[in-house]
Amino acid sequence: MENVIEIQNVKKSYRKKGAKEKVEAVKGVSLTVKKGEIVGLLGPNGAGKTTLIKMMCGLLIPNEGTILINGINIRQKRLQAMEHISVVLEGNRNLYWRLTVKENLEYFAGNRGHSKKQIQEKMEHLIDRFNLREKENEMVNALSRGMQQKVAVAVALIANTDVIFLDEPTLGLDLETSYEIRTLLKEIVEEEQKTIIISTHDMPVVQEVCERVVIVNHGNIVADDRVENLLQLFESKAYLFTLNATLTKQQISFLETHFVTSISQNDVGQTLLEVNIQQSEDFYRIIDLLAKEQIPIEKIDRTTVDFEEVFMKIVKGGYSHEMAKSV
Amino acid sequence: MKWLNLFKVNIKREVILLKRYLPNTISMILTFYIIFLGMFFGIQVVGDPGSAEMNTQYVIVNYIFWYLSMAVMAGIGWTVQNEVTLGTLEQIYMSPLGAWRIFLARIISSTVVEMITMTIMLFVSMLTAGTWLNIDIIAILPILILMIVSMLGVSFMIAGAAVIFKQIGSFLQISQFIFAGLTFVPLSTAPFLEFAPIVKGVDMVRQIMIFDYSWTDFTVVDYSSLILNAILYFALGIFVFFRCERVAMEKGVLGQH
Ligand SMILES: Nc1ncnc2c1ncn2[C@@H]1O[C@H](COP(=O)(O)OP(=O)(O)OP(=O)(O)O)[C@@H](O)[C@H]1O
Ligand SMILES: [Mg+2]
Repeated sequence: MENVIEIQNVKKSYRKKGAKEKVEAVKGVSLTVKKGEIVGLLGPNGAGKTTLIKMMCGLLIPNEGTILINGINIRQKRLQAMEHISVVLEGNRNLYWRLTVKENLEYFAGNRGHSKKQIQEKMEHLIDRFNLREKENEMVNALSRGMQQKVAVAVALIANTDVIFLDEPTLGLDLETSYEIRTLLKEIVEEEQKTIIISTHDMPVVQEVCERVVIVNHGNIVADDRVENLLQLFESKAYLFTLNATLTKQQISFLETHFVTSISQNDVGQTLLEVNIQQSEDFYRIIDLLAKEQIPIEKIDRTTVDFEEVFMKIVKGGYSHEMAKSV
Repeated sequence: MKWLNLFKVNIKREVILLKRYLPNTISMILTFYIIFLGMFFGIQVVGDPGSAEMNTQYVIVNYIFWYLSMAVMAGIGWTVQNEVTLGTLEQIYMSPLGAWRIFLARIISSTVVEMITMTIMLFVSMLTAGTWLNIDIIAILPILILMIVSMLGVSFMIAGAAVIFKQIGSFLQISQFIFAGLTFVPLSTAPFLEFAPIVKGVDMVRQIMIFDYSWTDFTVVDYSSLILNAILYFALGIFVFFRCERVAMEKGVLGQH
């Protein structure tokens, strides 16, 4: 498959207002995205996600590095590259509030050179699909935040580009609307062969919509893998033992020096052991140990990690890109 | 064809917003008219009665062109500032046809609207004052078009400044006085202003409207100066605009929030 996005060693620093020092927002990122891939771009606040997205869609010129969109160098042939890209930026700043839903769709499509006739069918389709029919002639400022966000996504889709960037598409939306947007994104992904890059803090979006995750932290990529691989990586190791006993100090310190990561008591006097099991032998060893000490085991659960935890562990735990590659 | 679609939607947008902001537009025109009335009666009361008619004619022509120059040259500054506030500037920059074409389409469509308003105001002013100016379309139109081309250049410079500096409201307020200077000061008192935008054009239109010149009464030098002025300011405007947008994209201030 061909590479739709190819960025190499891209760096960007901003000059702080009034100060002399610079903020290094992106510190040398390389990334390739293939046609049809749905990539989640994750990272804590200030990690550089928006900066990266703005550079990839030609709104921000990097200090260093090259960005190719469908093989077109965005720096040299910006407008030509724009033919292939649309973006929904973070926040509700993508629409004209004094124009109606339809007027916005027509206006932005027109700015890309599409005639009303060319987009008519697609527009009607999107209005139905996004459940906007009742509001099609309402001004955008009269719509809820979630509706506005749907219109913004529709504007990006009507451009009919190969690549779509979505910067935090569910930020600030309630659970229901965020679910609706997620579902729409999933449907779009199934319907059309688009390459989509979604930056988000919303883990369900990652788990349900994205195939691949790129995690950035402090302006660097710290993980880049398929969602299920990252989940597996952490999932296989974590178990939760519920014990019908209170442990002695010796037992606790022994367990802690071995494989146990945390010990706690619940409110009915049971002891909860969180165990990280690296090899299957460890499993026998801990069972043996508990048997020898005659500690009754109530149950053993495999802790299901959700992506949130995986993400936190990667960002906080000094997990590196190289580690991921070696697994 | 693609350009045409771009022009179409921008004209349509202008018309829609004009309708939606109609009370605004009307009150602006009324304000303008009331100020004119003030000036007109001022001339009648304090001015020398012998030159009252000519003074009134001067006021009408100058005032109308002042209005046009503000609307055309500062208008786009307000537009860009508005886009920044709304946050839509970045979406404008996502067009593969280039932001400059979108702004050009906006300026042209608003200029057309302003020309219509201006014509109406011209006739209303003449009726109010009971004086008739020489409206020689054949002579005026080419001059007007060339003047507008140079105004577009200035518009693009202002648009470029707005892309980088965003809040240029106070500058735009001040620019009204600069435009007033350019339209009110006759070329004969300040010949060097021939190199400034629009001054030469307004001067020629004054000759036509007040002193009944026809297009044959101007020399090749007059027309050449006008054409050169238009080309120069337009080219300079586009150049400055491109530089400004590049700087904004490098500094990361394009549509900053
Ligand atoms: N226009 C700007 N001028 C100066 N500094 C900026 C600018 N934009 C971003 N930064 C800084 O660059 C860094 C990266 O910001 P960026 O917006 O890319 O992060 P992000 O990952 O999108 O964060 P968030 O999750 O909060 O949206 C931050 O330290 C931010 O303060
Ligand atoms: Mg961001």
